[in-house]
Amino acid sequence: MEELQQPLPERLDLFTCIQCGKCTGGCPVSIKSPLNIRRVIRETVVREDLHGFFSRLEIWDCTTCSTCAIRCPRGLKPVDAIIGLREMMVEEGRIEKTIIDALDGAYKYGNPWGRAKNKRAEWAQDLDIQNALEMDPGQILYFVCCAASYDPRVQVVAKTLVTVLKAAGVSFGILGNKEVCCGSEIRRMGEVGLFEMLMEENMKNFGKIEPATIVTTSPHCMNALKNEYEGLGSEVLHYSQFVRRLMDEGKLAFETEVPMKVTYHDPCYLGKQNGVFDEPREILTSIPGIEFIEFGRCRENSLCCEGGGGRMWMEGTNQGKRLSEVRVEDALEMGVEAIITACPFCLLTLEDAVKTTGNEEKIKIIDLMELAVMGLGKTLETEG
Amino acid sequence: MDIIVCIKRVPETAEADLVIDASKKAIDTDGLVFSINEWDNYAVEAAIQLKESVGGTITVISVGPEENNEVLRRALAMGADEALRLTDPAFEGSDAYAMAKILAAAVKDIPHDLILTGVQADDDGFGAVGVALAQMLGLPYAALVTDIQLDGETLTVHRELEGGLEEVDTLKLPALLTIQTGINEPRYVSIMGIRRVARKEIGVKGAGDLGLSEEAVGAKGSLSRIEELFFPPVGEGAEIIEGTMDEKTEALVKILKERGGIA
Amino acid sequence: MEKIAVWVEHRQNEIRDITFEMLGKAHQLVGDGGQVIALFLGDPSQKGLLDKITPHAHRTVAYLDSNLKDFEPLRYQAAFADIFEKVDCQLILMGQTAFGMDFAPAVAARWEIPFTTDIVDVEVDGGLIAVRQMYSGKVSAKVSLKEADKMLCTVRAGAFPAEDLPTVSGEVQEITGAVEGDFSARAFVEYLEAAVGDVDITQADVIVSVGRGIKDADNIPVAQELADALGGVVACSRPVADKKWLPKERQVGTSGKTVKPKVYIALGISGAFQHQAGMKNAGTIIAVNKDPKAPIFGIAHYGIVDDLFKVVPALTEKVKELRGWGNSDK
Repeated sequence: MEELQQPLPERLDLFTCIQCGKCTGGCPVSIKSPLNIRRVIRETVVREDLHGFFSRLEIWDCTTCSTCAIRCPRGLKPVDAIIGLREMMVEEGRIEKTIIDALDGAYKYGNPWGRAKNKRAEWAQDLDIQNALEMDPGQILYFVCCAASYDPRVQVVAKTLVTVLKAAGVSFGILGNKEVCCGSEIRRMGEVGLFEMLMEENMKNFGKIEPATIVTTSPHCMNALKNEYEGLGSEVLHYSQFVRRLMDEGKLAFETEVPMKVTYHDPCYLGKQNGVFDEPREILTSIPGIEFIEFGRCRENSLCCEGGGGRMWMEGTNQGKRLSEVRVEDALEMGVEAIITACPFCLLTLEDAVKTTGNEEKIKIIDLMELAVMGLGKTLETEG
Repeated sequence: MDIIVCIKRVPETAEADLVIDASKKAIDTDGLVFSINEWDNYAVEAAIQLKESVGGTITVISVGPEENNEVLRRALAMGADEALRLTDPAFEGSDAYAMAKILAAAVKDIPHDLILTGVQADDDGFGAVGVALAQMLGLPYAALVTDIQLDGETLTVHRELEGGLEEVDTLKLPALLTIQTGINEPRYVSIMGIRRVARKEIGVKGAGDLGLSEEAVGAKGSLSRIEELFFPPVGEGAEIIEGTMDEKTEALVKILKERGGIA
Repeated sequence: MEKIAVWVEHRQNEIRDITFEMLGKAHQLVGDGGQVIALFLGDPSQKGLLDKITPHAHRTVAYLDSNLKDFEPLRYQAAFADIFEKVDCQLILMGQTAFGMDFAPAVAARWEIPFTTDIVDVEVDGGLIAVRQMYSGKVSAKVSLKEADKMLCTVRAGAFPAEDLPTVSGEVQEITGAVEGDFSARAFVEYLEAAVGDVDITQADVIVSVGRGIKDADNIPVAQELADALGGVVACSRPVADKKWLPKERQVGTSGKTVKPKVYIALGISGAFQHQAGMKNAGTIIAVNKDPKAPIFGIAHYGIVDDLFKVVPALTEKVKELRGWGNSDK
C-alpha cells in the first residue's frame, strides 16, 4: 500500500529511461494500437498529474507480454508503468465494466468469471484426485487455477495433465474448491489489493501442506507463484518443466506414434518472462512421429497471442488484425497441421483465431499435454 | 444537497444451486456470496455523481444484521459520508410495507433533500419499498428513473417505460427516486479503498431508537407473508422442441408469450 | 372472490395489453355470478378507449377529468381517493409495469391495503394466495395477504393470456372528476422515444443474438426482422463483432456486455464459455443451432436443432401474425 503512494516514476526508476524506443520497437501491439510505451514513460515522468491517462483506453491494450522489459538497455520494466497507471485507475474506480466484472468475480468467487466456488473442482470429480489438504507436507500440489477449472476447453488440458501425471505414477493432490485465483491477471489489471488478498488465501493453504513442488497449468500462475508470492517456500514449476523432469527420471516415455507436422507457440509468460523455451520443445520432439518446425518468430522473439494482461476481459482499442490470426496464418503457410502451445490463454485465443479465419478444417490448436496423452497412447478427452 | 440512499445486502443467487430451508419459507443462505443489491449500487453511484456536481452529504442506510456493515462500508469507500444500520430482532419477517415503515422512521431524523433507493431488490423483487416509503413521508417520487438532472430545487428525471419509451417528469425537492440499472456506470471499489474506511464508525439504531413498536414492524407489522417457497419446474439442459417447422415455431411463439419475449 | 377491480392502463391513447391480461384473470377468479370491474382514470377525450374495455367488464367505472390524460401518480392518487370508497371490491389488480410500479405501492401504503407485487398466479381458496417469483425466477413463493376488505396485487406482464376474454353486457358508470390541488411536485412533461441507432443491449428485455451460424453480414436482417417483431434488439457473439458484421457494443460475453434479458434467443451460436458468461442469467434462453452437440444447448431452456435460416423467417411470420402485422409493413 505504501509502495503505491510513491509516485510512479520514482517507484519504477523511470527517470533513468533514455527514451531510446527499443521498447516500442518490440511491442507487439504498437503497430496497431495508439499505445506507445516509450511515450507513456515520457509522459509519466514529465506530467504532474497523471489523470489525463485515465480516459486513454489504449492503456488496456498492453498484454503485459514484457517484450519491452527484455529489450530495455537500462534494465527497466516499461510494462510496470502500464500496470502502475492501471492501479491508479482502479483506485479511482474508473475502469471498464468488463474489468469490474472480472475483479468482482475474483473477489466474491475466487475466479474472474464469477463462477460458483463449489463448482471449481467439478471437472475433477470422476478423476479420483486426492485432496491436497489431506496430504503430508513435502508432496506435489497441482495448482489448477481458474481457466482450467471452469472453461470446458481448458478443463480438457487439466484432465490430460492428470492422465500424464498418473501415467508417470506421480502422487499429487489439488486444493479443489479451496483454491482461489492465483491473481496474476488481477494484478495486471491493476488491482493490487485484491491480488494480495487472493495470494494470502492461497498462501494459507500452501502453509498447511507445505508442498515440495507446485505444478501449474498456466505459465501465468507459475510466474505469479514463483516470482510474486512472497515467502513461498515451495518449488514452482509449469507443467512442461515438471513433465520434462519426469522424462529425465525415466518415469515417462512416449512410445505411440503421432504422425503430425507441428509448430510450437511460445507463451510469453513461459518463454520471455521465465526462460522456459527448451522443455516444451523437448517433450514434443520426443514423441515419435512428430515433425517439428519452428515459427519464424520464436523463443525470445515469439509473437504474443494477446491473451494476457487482462486482455481476456478487455479487448482494448486496437481494431487491427488479431496477432493470434497472424500466428495461425503464419502456421498455415508453414504447412503444419497443428500449433502446439502450453498456456490456457494462448490455447483459447489461437483457437478463436482458427475459427474467425475460417480454417477449422485446415489446422488445429493442441495443448502440449493433449499431445503428450496421444504420445502415451491414451485417448484424448474431447468434452466441451 | 443532502442525500440518503437506502441499500440492501442480498445473496447472489444467479450462479448458485439454491436450497429451500426446513421452514420452507426461506432459502438456505449458507455458502452464498452476499453483496450490495445491484439496483442500489446504481443508486449510490447516482448520489455520488450528484454530490460531485453540487456538493452536500450522502448517508447510506441499510436494514439488517452486522454483516450489512460490509455493504455500508463499500458505499463509504465509494464516496458516501455517513452510514447507518437499522437492526432489531423485531424487524424479522418485515415485508415491503413494514420495511418502508422502518426506513421512514429512520430518515425522519436525518436532514435530506433527496432519497434514493434501487427500483427493486435482487432477492425478493418486490419493487415496492421506495414508492411506499415516499408515500409514508409524503414526498413526491418517481420510480424506474434512468436519468436525473438537477436545476435548483427542481429535478428533471426520465422514467423507463415499456417498449423503448421514456417519460420525462419534473419533481420538486425534497423527493424520492427509485433508480433503475443502467442509469450510470457504478465505479469500482478497490480492496484498498475498502480497507481505508475499515475503521469508520457505522451508526446503529433499533426499533426503540426509532420510536417503533414491535407490533408496527416485522411479521406483525406486515401486510403480506410468505407461506411457502417452491422450485418452479425446470428441466436439466434444453428442452428440445421437435416436430414440423410449423409445430416448432408454434411452440416457440407460445414460449415467447409466456416468458415475456414479445415486448 | 366476488368482485375484482382492474386498473385500466393506457398510454398515448392506447390500452396496454396488461389490462386485458388482468381482465382475463379477473373473470377466471370471480367465476359465474361474480363481478369484474374496470377502473378507468383518464381525460374525457379518451372516452373512446372504453369501447375496448366495457365488453369485458361487468361494470366500468370511468373517472374522467381533464387533468388525467397522462399518468401522474399524485393526480391519479387524488382521483383514486375520490372513487376508492365507491368501488366495492375485494381485490384490485394493477400491472407490474412502469405505471403500476409507480402507483400501486403508494396506493397500498396510503390506504394500508394488504398487497404484493409482480404476481404470476393467484388462487382464491378461502384466503388469497398469490404466486410470485424470487431470486430472479429461481424460486417461486406463495404469498398470503392479511385479511382486509380490500387487497391489491400487481401482475407481471405476460403472466396471463389476453385472448378469449369473456364478453359480458356491462354497465358504465361515468364520474365527472374533480381533481383539485397543487400537483406540481411531480409533473408529467413528455414522452421520449429512445434514440434510434443507440441500442443498449444491456437494457433490452428481448435479445436476438447471432453467432457464426449467421454466416455473412448480409444475413443480419434475418435476425433484425425477428427482433423487430418481438420488440427486441440484435446482439452477437465475438466472432460476429470481430468480423464487424455488428458493432462491438452488441457483443455479449466476457470481453463484451453482460446481459440479463427476459428472453435470449441464440441463433447459430455454439456457446463458448466466454459467451455463456455474458448471457447465462437471462430469464429464458432459446437456442437454434444445427449442431445438436453445441454447448449452448447445455444452458438453454429450449432448443431447436435445425437451420436458423428455416426457423427464423417462419417464426418471424408467426409473431407478426400474432401482432396483427400480417405481411404488411409495421
